[in-house]
Amino acid sequence: MGETPAVTETAGRGEAGRNVSEGLDVRGIRVVDAGGRPIVGPLDLRVPPGRVVAVMGESGGGKTSAVLAALDALPPGLRRAGGTTWWNGRPVPPGRAARRWRRAEAGLLGQDPAADLHPLRTVAGLVADGFPRGRDGRGDAVGRVLAELGLDPREVAHRRPHRLSGGQAQRVALARAIVGDPPLLVLDEPTSGLDPATVELVVGVLLRRRTTPGAATLVVTHDRGFAERVADEVVTVGARPAPRREPATAPRRRSRGEPVALRLRGLDVAPPGGGPSLLTSVDLEIGRGELVAVVGPSGSGKSTLLRAVAGLHPPTAGTVEVEGRALPARVSDRDRSSLRAVQFVGQDPLGALNPAHRVGAALARPARVLRALPAAPARRQAEELLAEVGLSPQVARRRPRGLSGGQRQRVAIARALAAGPAVLLADEVTSALDAVNAHAVLDLLEDLRARQAMAVLLVTHDVTVAARADRVFAIDPEHARLLPVGSAADAAAPDRDGRGRRTPEKDEKENADA
Amino acid sequence: MRALGVAVAGVSLPLLLGVVLLGGVLAPQDPTASVAAAWQPAGPGHPLGTDGLGRDVWSRVLAGGRDLLVTGVAAALAASLVGVAGGLAAGWAGRTWDRVLTGVADLLLAVPTLLLALLAAVTLPGRAAVVVATVCGGAPLTLRVVRDAVRSLRHSGYVEAALCRGERPVAVVVREVLPVMRGLVAADLGLRLVVALQIASALNLLGFGVSPPAPDWALMLRENMPGIAANPAAVAAPAVALGLVTVALALAVQTVTHHRGSDG
Repeated sequence: MGETPAVTETAGRGEAGRNVSEGLDVRGIRVVDAGGRPIVGPLDLRVPPGRVVAVMGESGGGKTSAVLAALDALPPGLRRAGGTTWWNGRPVPPGRAARRWRRAEAGLLGQDPAADLHPLRTVAGLVADGFPRGRDGRGDAVGRVLAELGLDPREVAHRRPHRLSGGQAQRVALARAIVGDPPLLVLDEPTSGLDPATVELVVGVLLRRRTTPGAATLVVTHDRGFAERVADEVVTVGARPAPRREPATAPRRRSRGEPVALRLRGLDVAPPGGGPSLLTSVDLEIGRGELVAVVGPSGSGKSTLLRAVAGLHPPTAGTVEVEGRALPARVSDRDRSSLRAVQFVGQDPLGALNPAHRVGAALARPARVLRALPAAPARRQAEELLAEVGLSPQVARRRPRGLSGGQRQRVAIARALAAGPAVLLADEVTSALDAVNAHAVLDLLEDLRARQAMAVLLVTHDVTVAARADRVFAIDPEHARLLPVGSAADAAAPDRDGRGRRTPEKDEKENADA
Repeated sequence: MRALGVAVAGVSLPLLLGVVLLGGVLAPQDPTASVAAAWQPAGPGHPLGTDGLGRDVWSRVLAGGRDLLVTGVAAALAASLVGVAGGLAAGWAGRTWDRVLTGVADLLLAVPTLLLALLAAVTLPGRAAVVVATVCGGAPLTLRVVRDAVRSLRHSGYVEAALCRGERPVAVVVREVLPVMRGLVAADLGLRLVVALQIASALNLLGFGVSPPAPDWALMLRENMPGIAANPAAVAAPAVALGLVTVALALAVQTVTHHRGSDG
């Protein structure tokens, strides 16, 4: 800290003075929580202009906290215990000065972008907020940036956030962050809810930024492939990610001979706000212990399909059967055993857990309600579930506020498992997790379906996740149909530079053709 | 600033409320007895002088807040309870319930609160009038705020998870929705409290509430106005006491809300 005056002397010069480089330069940043326990650091970060730096690390390792501390934008409960930030050779003092600096120089995309969008404003208005006042061409810039991210400006510009899908909301938030071409762009998990085609668009935007003079970009991500493609440099925060563990049981490719766990017949699904059906005549059978993935572009109705099966958004036609019994369309009409049989894990780990309840209570509740367990065994089971999803028993005493996105998602999965379901509906469950944790969760699902014969219907945008499924279906949005991958309209997203493993069905078909 | 707020809430407020509630016992003289000449200015034995009937103003100030405070707190709690219950029902049930409840609330909001208070005052005894007026004027506001908050929480992940494990609607509302809104409800209760104290003192000032010779801050303002030239303290003291209690309560509720909000 003693070097600060020396730096001030060189402030404003075009060149780097006294070891302080151009762009963003962060030294020895440390973050502690309210009780003074260290969360992350000390950490150095350097983002020169024209460069893209990726911050990677395990879920809960403090990636986001480190970056927010560098910007002096930590949420309540966390505190910057040390370190300094320089921007183009000038120190940025914390407090009001940092706020002014962020407003003038930085574009920021948070981890839960959908929650950052004001519910009463239109997409056009929200994106225009990111455009500096007094500069011309605002309307054009908004339209261009939306189109760049694969959104049709004419279609979405007048919508409000509740009429956007998770992936669309994320892109709108990203558009707001980049529309003004800020000198410093900070993106926290920009690809977590996006399908591969949209990730390509984000990659394009970031690669273009490299050629913009003076533009420095910092990306927090758990997606190694994405980081390698866009970043000039990768910084790892926290413990080094452990190598991927091989699943204990080899994934079994199930034949059709298994008893059917979930059967959908002629299901028609309309979007939540009303309108033409997203999916028509969906017929699907999932055997016990089978893992079936549904892929499709953002906004095509993947989540809505799962919600329809869960009874949260009743389908307009068709029936849902679990283990041979037809389920009432609405969750409120289902009896206890039907409820136990189907459990749903949602897309949004932030909203999934009640901020007022401790994790232990949230996990004990399903066992108490659905299986009529007394309090003490339910608590014990909660701790076992935590262990099963790879969290320590201490987490039971915490509230969701003190957990990272990845930890919250694991708790949400554990809560669904507490019911002992025959069918687990998983909506983008791995999108908030880093690669190591994502595969650990998939291993867990693998293990559960082997041991408990639990069927899993998984919705994902990630080809590597879909590749672990026994069968993959894709949504064809134009014809509102659900099609097995490998058939005529192959709606599966393209493989990304060899990262995406191909689905077995696809390989088989191609082998057969050859 | 926050430390100051906590200090105010933690130390001064219980002290202040204790004095107000036990004031009648602490009073050095009988608040209703004439003990000296009328309109004496502050002096030995009478720190705030005497009023038009020669009663000790200090004793009357000490004794004159209890009734107001108890009535005000009761009225605010009633308004908050009615408003929160109505808001939860309207926001959760939607459709017909929502239309009926918000319709009634809007109707009540269209009538000026003071008019409601006066109507209540001429038809009901004083304390009941304060409660009824506060509920009619305040509960609709609480209802609207709570209803909107509930509607935004209806589709949150934890509410849907509760539905997926078959919790009954009442259980979902009480266990999942209400705890999240405790900060909101506490902040709203603070507002209702201030309005309840205003209504209570307004009715007393206008002569609809407690009747002489009972000591009451609002009543004292009216009684002591003619002697303001001879003994200004007889008017200033109850006014300051009224202001102090209102501000302290509002500040305390705000501090509690913020405190809860940060670790909730």
